[in-house]
Amino acid sequence: MDQLSQVRSARARFVEKRHLSMLRKPLESMGVLRYEAPGRLEKIVHKPKAERLLLEGDQLTLERDGGRKRKVLALTDIPELAALVSGLRATLAGDMKTLSRHYEVALEGPAEHWRMTLRPIEKKAAALVKYIRIFGTGVDLTTVEVQQADGDRSVMYLVKDLN
Amino acid sequence: MPRKAFVLVVWSVVLAVCGVIVSNTRFSSDLSAFLPRSPTPAQQALVEQLKDGVVSRLVLVGLRGAPPDRLAAINKSMAAALRQDARFVAVSNGEPASQDADREFIFRYRYLLSTHIAPGYFDAPRLQSALEEALTLMTSEAGMLAKPLVIADPTGEVMRMAEELAGTTSPKTHQGTWISKDQSYSLMLLQTRAAGFDMNAQEQAIAAIHLAFTKAGGNAAIHLDLVGPGVFSVMTRAVIKGDAERFALAAAAIVALMLLIVFRSPRLLVLGFLPVGSGVLAGVAAVALFHGEVHGITLGFGATLIGEAVDYAIYLFLQSQARTGERLSLRRLWPTLRLGVLTSIFGFSALFFSKFPGLAQLGLFSIAGLIAAVLVTRFVLPELLPPGFRVTGIDRFGGYLFSGLRRLRVLRPYLAIAVGIGIASVLARADHLWQDELSSLSPVPLDAQALDGRLRGELGAPDVRHLVVVSAADEQSGLELTETVTARLELIKQQNLIAGYDSPTRYLPSLKAQRTRQASLPASAQLQVNLARAAEQMSFAPEAFAPFIEQVEQARHLPAMTRATLQGTQLALRYDSLVLQRQGQWFAMLPLTQVNELAKLSNALSPVLGEQVALLDLKHETDTLYRDYRKEAVLLSVLGAAAIVLLLAMSLRSVRRALSVCAPIAMAIVLTMAALIWSHQSLTIFHLVGMLLVVAVGSNYALFFERGLNADGNAPRTSVSLLTANLSTMVGFGLLGFSQVPVLSAIGTVVGLGAILSLVCSAALSSEFSREHA
Repeated sequence: MDQLSQVRSARARFVEKRHLSMLRKPLESMGVLRYEAPGRLEKIVHKPKAERLLLEGDQLTLERDGGRKRKVLALTDIPELAALVSGLRATLAGDMKTLSRHYEVALEGPAEHWRMTLRPIEKKAAALVKYIRIFGTGVDLTTVEVQQADGDRSVMYLVKDLN
Repeated sequence: MPRKAFVLVVWSVVLAVCGVIVSNTRFSSDLSAFLPRSPTPAQQALVEQLKDGVVSRLVLVGLRGAPPDRLAAINKSMAAALRQDARFVAVSNGEPASQDADREFIFRYRYLLSTHIAPGYFDAPRLQSALEEALTLMTSEAGMLAKPLVIADPTGEVMRMAEELAGTTSPKTHQGTWISKDQSYSLMLLQTRAAGFDMNAQEQAIAAIHLAFTKAGGNAAIHLDLVGPGVFSVMTRAVIKGDAERFALAAAAIVALMLLIVFRSPRLLVLGFLPVGSGVLAGVAAVALFHGEVHGITLGFGATLIGEAVDYAIYLFLQSQARTGERLSLRRLWPTLRLGVLTSIFGFSALFFSKFPGLAQLGLFSIAGLIAAVLVTRFVLPELLPPGFRVTGIDRFGGYLFSGLRRLRVLRPYLAIAVGIGIASVLARADHLWQDELSSLSPVPLDAQALDGRLRGELGAPDVRHLVVVSAADEQSGLELTETVTARLELIKQQNLIAGYDSPTRYLPSLKAQRTRQASLPASAQLQVNLARAAEQMSFAPEAFAPFIEQVEQARHLPAMTRATLQGTQLALRYDSLVLQRQGQWFAMLPLTQVNELAKLSNALSPVLGEQVALLDLKHETDTLYRDYRKEAVLLSVLGAAAIVLLLAMSLRSVRRALSVCAPIAMAIVLTMAALIWSHQSLTIFHLVGMLLVVAVGSNYALFFERGLNADGNAPRTSVSLLTANLSTMVGFGLLGFSQVPVLSAIGTVVGLGAILSLVCSAALSSEFSREHA
């Protein structure tokens, strides 16, 4: 975690698979994930439809149709969503304090092959998400898995982008 | 019974009767008495709307003076507190607006409420595009939250209606609450349960907002700005009350001091105010009997009666001298004073006959008050003075004063020139002499009006100006007609002629529309087929949308909503604030937001406009009505002036003498008007009221000069009485001229200036002095 907190910025390509009970086959999306210390996390989806999600401070911006549809939300208004998105960000920032405020944290394995499990403490978030599991080697995240309470599941695979 | 006892008993009984009437009188402080009484049902509805409607209930809140984060936090915490407060019907600040109960209600009745539901809405092609949308939503982070809603409402009816409820045009948000474009203001829009004219309730609501602000951590560094009709009513009441009290007290104190110096007797001072007191009491009682209620502003003009009624006592005390053992008597003065009172009454009858309710009250108040005051001076005061009474020690000063007044005749050529210029400037401005905007009478300070405009623009709140009024015989036919109008408005909104509108049918559609929507919902089997076809190319599981199919089937059999069904939700309160039932007629008010080009809007609406549907520009309507009343008042005043000339000519049995009384007053009025024009003031109906008061006060001066100050061989005393009367008027009204309330300052300026000019002109023109001179 200490090493992670040294990272000033990171950029990774991702492929995300969502396994939803309402769908016969998993939903796949891909794009780029960008992080800038300490609090800026941007998820740019290229496929199947362009979408941009920006988490900055307490503000979550959702953009679709090339910015023509734009929604700005305050995390404090949607605590369940706050718990989810801030989990990934706090991990990237190596911010153990924030993590343990929102989650029961379990960190396993050696530094070159670690695994962290986050279980939401807040009731509303726990009703939605059972756990988030993050895999990584050193300061690079490789997989983010979200297990929802209703059985739906999503897995995001990350590859460090050198550009 | 001796004469003294008889007079005092009659006086006391009359005062007691007046007192009883006054104590049972309803005093209204609602400014609508000063709004014209409207003749057509649509205009009547309009005045109702102003007094009672949704626009009168809005409070616009602006927080500034701290970083946006801090303001947003205070805003949220205030909103949370106010949402629990029964005094507020709606609290909007950009946060998800509908409460759980509303959300449940909308969810349950979504297919009866949504204007989108029509035959074919759930056909395969339309469903397919809805499902594509849904799939995209599922890919996003928000998908997890939206999932339960999407499977029950794939076309997003609930979301759209919730957004509509949250506000037609929403400002930008910061941390989830509205913020002004320049980020300086954090914004909130409140709707009170009480109508805007219910000032006590409004005052409580405002207090609740301030309390919520303090509890939310607001402090002196952060400004809480409140605007809106209710806020302004409360503010106005406070300002008028404050000004009237402050200035009336100051004027009374100065006048009292002055009279004390002249009379040198506290007893006389008290007696001097008896005619005024009796006059105010009689005036209020007369208005109460005639109009059923007395407006606070009418009462405020009680102060103005001081201007003339105190003069009567001054004339009595200073001009009359009792011989030893005799009572002081008004007898010798009576013919002149009686004529003065009659002149005043003729002047004020111009107001009495006005159809403008506020002015009619004012006219009656003045007439009744003056009659009572002069009767008290004539019959009661002499009984209360010891025999052989006279005010002493004024003769020497009076002598100087008299010779001073005589010298005023040198002013004649200058006055002639000034009056010439005055007439020319009045004529030059004849076209735009009068300010015909009702808002010019508004007691709301200009900066508050500007702030109101700014916050209204930022919030996209209805501007209290443009409304579509729908009238019908009953609720259902009214709702059906309103739906036609609303469909048109939706088109107009898309053409950007308006930014938004509100309509009662958004909260309660007509039974007919609800049944049509129900009938257009496909049966379960059909819907399943449509859905399967729509989802063909997509990877949705076959049973994924089971809740949707089930709930459409339920909606087909729901009993249609009535007003009773809405009970307990915000929708009920919103609905109630937009409709109105009176005299067997049903009205809907559809407030429009940001009307840019009225002509284009009117044109676009023309297919639905007619006998039952009217587009109202409130400002235009009220301004037109106000202009009509102003014209009527000017006409009545001119008739009043003619009647005064006739009265004087008949009483004085000489046209020449009548004109010599009228000339100085006419000059004084011309010069006063010119002075207002030169100081770039537009004249309002209240300046006209002031001029009538100038006629009332000035005619007394002119009559005394016409009769001759030395007619009794008593020129010094008469001079002192005139100067004292004049100074008391000038002080009383001159002070009012400094009031922030336009009504008070207009009358104060005109009368203060007009009174001194009347005296100067009367003295300068006096033929008594020219005779001596010749």
